[in-house]
Amino acid sequence: MRTILVAGLLMAALVSTAGAASAAEIGRIKSVAGDASVVHGKAITPAQAGQLLQVGDVLRTGANGLVGITFVDNSRFAIGPNSRIVLSEYEFDDTTHAGKSLTTVNRGSLAIVSGQIAHENKDAERVRTPTSVLAARGTRFVVQVGP
Amino acid sequence: MRPVAPLWAILALCLGLAACANDRVALLSGEGGAPAGGVVVIDPASGAERGQLTDANTQAQLDGGAVRPRPLTEHFDALLSAMPAPPRVFTLYFIEGTTQVAPESVATLDELRKVVTPASDVQITGYTDTTGDAAGNDKLSLDRAIEIRAALVQEGLPVANARVTGRGQRDLRVQTGPGVNEPLNRRVEVILR
Repeated sequence: MRTILVAGLLMAALVSTAGAASAAEIGRIKSVAGDASVVHGKAITPAQAGQLLQVGDVLRTGANGLVGITFVDNSRFAIGPNSRIVLSEYEFDDTTHAGKSLTTVNRGSLAIVSGQIAHENKDAERVRTPTSVLAARGTRFVVQVGP
Repeated sequence: MRPVAPLWAILALCLGLAACANDRVALLSGEGGAPAGGVVVIDPASGAERGQLTDANTQAQLDGGAVRPRPLTEHFDALLSAMPAPPRVFTLYFIEGTTQVAPESVATLDELRKVVTPASDVQITGYTDTTGDAAGNDKLSLDRAIEIRAALVQEGLPVANARVTGRGQRDLRVQTGPGVNEPLNRRVEVILR
């Protein structure tokens, strides 16, 4: 009886972990040059090509850092040197293409090619800076914060 | 629920970092000749629009005031060198009622074999024509995408972990009314990011 219960709990844990992992991927790092790291919760790891990204992750680059990212809605980021970028919100239904995203630029530079979220949901792909919120309307743009 | 920074905090932050004076947004030309689109600048506290950039190669300061577009004089070449390439889309057609690649799609399959690696970020999206109801077509297109992934794995492509999606009768390749049997709309797109 006890064995069955433990096995059941293990199964439930495995299933929920698998579900969380597959549901959580919002994009991945395609390229890294120079110093760059990903802050995920309390863990800080060097950024690596192929690394999966989740909501809440923070990307940081040093003086020579560059990072390229693709998202599941086909939007793309290029992050420049001396940047701190937070993937604050991201929701995308890949069947209906409903969704929204919010990226926070605390400092540095971010170039964006917008994706399906912006194409199919008006003003839903957003970027926040210290003074402003920007909404992309199907476009390629650059946001710079700081010197 | 999200805490909103009061204005004095934003001002303090700007003064402390000497940052906001240089904050700006630049609208570039659309990629590959696409329209430039636009960027709307919104006041975070009130939600009011401060203005827009709508012309390619213009920029505006983000200083909390109204948007005043100016010509853009730089190209951001170093930054844009880090921009990943656009996703590539390969469309495959299948013999009706099977997961067997139609003869005209064999060349596409060969091309995929050359470019897909185990590190590829692959999405497989199924579509249907407009026969049947929308909910049934969502399921059918997903089932088809799952079957196609299995078929591509069988063909030796490293796509076992590809994301699969069914988009039903959305995004018809050939526009038709409801209830139209259209082979070109029964398709699967393999998207490489």
